[in-house]
Amino acid sequence: MTNNTNVWAAGLKPLDKQILDIPKDVKFCRKCVVSNQRPRIKFDEEGVCSACRFAERKRNGIDWGMRESELEQLLDKHRRNDGSWDIIVPGSGGKDSAYVAHQLRDRWGMNPLTVTWSPFVYTDIGRKNFHSFIDSGFNNMLATPNGDMHRKLSKLSFLGVGDAWQPFTYGQVSFAFHIALKFGIKLVFFGENGEAEYGGDTKNNDLPGMPLEDWRMLYFKGANLDELLQRGVEHDFFTERDVKNNFQFYYPPSHEEMRKSGCEMHWYSYYQKWIPQENYYYCREHTGFEANSERSEGTYSKYASLDDKMDGFHFYLAYIKFGISRCTSDAAHEVRDGHITRDEAIALVKRYEAEFPQKNYQEFLEYTDITDEQFWQVIDSWRQPHIWEKRDSEWCLKHAVYYPEDAVETIEWD
Amino acid sequence: MAFLRVVARLDVKGSNLIKGVHLEGLRVIGDPNEHAKKYYAEGADEIIYMDTVASLYGRNNLTDVVRRTVHDVFVPITVGGGIRSVDDAQEILRSGADKVAINTAATSNPELLTQVAQRFGAQCLVLSIEAKQQNDGTWEAYCDNGRERTGLDVIEWAKRGTEIGAGEILLTSIDREGTRKGFDLKLLKAVSDAVTVPVIASGGMGSMKHFAEAVHVGRADAIAMADIIHYERMQLSEIKNTAAKMNLNVRTL
Amino acid sequence: MSQTITIADYGVGNLYSVRSALEHCSATPVMATTYDEVLAADRLLLPGVGAFGDSMKGMHRTGMFDAVRDFATKERPLLGICLGMQMLLSDSEEFGLNDGLNLIPGHVKMIPDAGSDGRSHRVPHVGWAPIFSPPSITEWSTSLLKGIPQNTAFYFVHSLYSVTADPSHLIANCDYDGQALGAVVQNGPIFGCQFHPEKSAQAGLTMIKNFLDL
Repeated sequence: MTNNTNVWAAGLKPLDKQILDIPKDVKFCRKCVVSNQRPRIKFDEEGVCSACRFAERKRNGIDWGMRESELEQLLDKHRRNDGSWDIIVPGSGGKDSAYVAHQLRDRWGMNPLTVTWSPFVYTDIGRKNFHSFIDSGFNNMLATPNGDMHRKLSKLSFLGVGDAWQPFTYGQVSFAFHIALKFGIKLVFFGENGEAEYGGDTKNNDLPGMPLEDWRMLYFKGANLDELLQRGVEHDFFTERDVKNNFQFYYPPSHEEMRKSGCEMHWYSYYQKWIPQENYYYCREHTGFEANSERSEGTYSKYASLDDKMDGFHFYLAYIKFGISRCTSDAAHEVRDGHITRDEAIALVKRYEAEFPQKNYQEFLEYTDITDEQFWQVIDSWRQPHIWEKRDSEWCLKHAVYYPEDAVETIEWD
Repeated sequence: MAFLRVVARLDVKGSNLIKGVHLEGLRVIGDPNEHAKKYYAEGADEIIYMDTVASLYGRNNLTDVVRRTVHDVFVPITVGGGIRSVDDAQEILRSGADKVAINTAATSNPELLTQVAQRFGAQCLVLSIEAKQQNDGTWEAYCDNGRERTGLDVIEWAKRGTEIGAGEILLTSIDREGTRKGFDLKLLKAVSDAVTVPVIASGGMGSMKHFAEAVHVGRADAIAMADIIHYERMQLSEIKNTAAKMNLNVRTL
Repeated sequence: MSQTITIADYGVGNLYSVRSALEHCSATPVMATTYDEVLAADRLLLPGVGAFGDSMKGMHRTGMFDAVRDFATKERPLLGICLGMQMLLSDSEEFGLNDGLNLIPGHVKMIPDAGSDGRSHRVPHVGWAPIFSPPSITEWSTSLLKGIPQNTAFYFVHSLYSVTADPSHLIANCDYDGQALGAVVQNGPIFGCQFHPEKSAQAGLTMIKNFLDL
């Protein structure tokens, strides 16, 4: 692959539109540890974030019995019983998708087809868990996109939006729908409503699934695939023909096709109270899932998002862009679930969040065909002045949930 | 001959008794004191309290829990988690504990073992080892509640640690703990054969068969259990009675 | 009315558990740090954890050495626990030879690292072991062990054991791989137990109650 230095000369400007919408004064939630820098999150007058408010409702304000009845009705309507697949569960075979697939099959009597959009570079534990999941009794379709195109897109994505991992997200959602259409399957069940659970746009909090119109914003995270591909052509990463022939699965089926098919997307988290740690326990018992032997870099946990060597750099970039990342998300969710206290979450963020994903760094550079110098140039270009400052030639966060100056009075969960 | 000890292991975080699998995914079970009292009444020979967030906060926070427990529980109490200095050890012993268990701090500063042993006696010092199987059949010692690798070979470390001060070993198999699939017998036997101090087997007990294997094959001197009693799959009293019926040398009430 | 029991505090040792056990037996433990406090005691408890040499130094440094020896002339009950028991003897070979209180003549020796069959065994001796009367007696006459059946298990943690000069001072042994190690000693109202009664569950609490009732 050519090392397109003309890309640098062109001064590829940031495409990530979500950068523009975040508030300039950094604040931390009083009930968890997330900050207002997380795109689309809202804090209320009490200084509590929308994810915490949603979690409060999960505890006290939602009639889970009723939600379960809704699920039952929905599934009764779509269950086929004629041997064909009646529901699609996208996922990696990790704790979340395995939990959903197993529940749908064993508890609800559905016949799921699981679909997987390949990680960029499989980790050993990821592959192992993927196969354990399949071996525990599930049908699966694994899609591996054109390796050459995928890599180039990854590089473009890194240079353009600072995130080499982003192309994964296009296929992760779209592929499932293409398969649904091809097999005439009407239901696609994802695991969690990420915006509701982790703090984002709350407008779909009470919906069983995401409306098609919302994909662009949420899943493309501010950048448009077309723009990236266009740049790719302009800078000779690939040709028009390459583009035409290779990216079908990266786009969802058309609006028309989806509407005609009657295919619906749902979140299991709408129907059943979503507790990631409980998914871990569940999958350990039922689908052979195993946590990693080491904790993931940048966080303390060993069982979330294990299967892609490129993962760490997506999270690290988020840390650079927003000052918070994986550890904050994990810890905040666990505070909301009642597994840990806010104090512990703060201590965890302080200990792990800034960690650089060293383990797979060389492989990352090789995959994306960039140098260490270029990597840091791009990364540094995403540091915003209200989040980072240089002290004695070291980059330091201006605000952190563990800084005394940023401390806010904790509101305890009861 | 000293009796085989049945040890209740309580992992504590803040004020909660918790339990994980592979030292991960830590679920809240309840009040540690209430559970300790219950296990004592049912015949536990020893209680182990491990502070699982000690390394994170940089200190052991169990002195209050221990003080309360000592009011009602009259069997030995071992406390581990975040003990980094002789002073830390002293504070814990003064609060009523009989032994301190040290892992993380000792792996980076083995001298600490000697210091604690010289000050309080080797019998007050337990070397806590978290062992993870490697592909080549050896085991690597982890620290920080199973979060960090040390690069130390478990057998070598066990030997060394006991030579320089530790009077006992608490051996936890990270691979087995929380799984109820039985102890790592190879690991147990290898460590038991390598050292002259008592070895407490921890991690994996799911049935009395596992218990017996740990004794007969693993040569363990004490069996620690957590999942099986915290989730009430078996009562501790039942475990002891059954062990006695199996001709295992346990203390009966 | 609860009985008071004085504990000689010479700066070494895990006193919290002992006090808890005494309170559990409805006694009022009183810490003594001065000569007068010790001499005024109705009954005295001598605790101990750690190394003999260090403890004896502490005893001397705090004046407890003289206090305890003088108390012993009063014919009031005195109980040494674990290292406290060892200190009642004449001397100990732990980390070099150190002198004890010499209230029960005898020596404290290292537990051999092999059992009676020659096979090596672990030292320290840690754990629950049954106690039994020496061969010459079939049952315990001492009121300290009243109501405690032969072969009841107590909790031991020790690397050394006591050998009394006078065999009649040895009341109970524990077995360690075929070797009998001194578990309970007595010279008049002066008692010692090698095990930790505050860590020996119901059996230990019974013994404590017996001592309080003396």
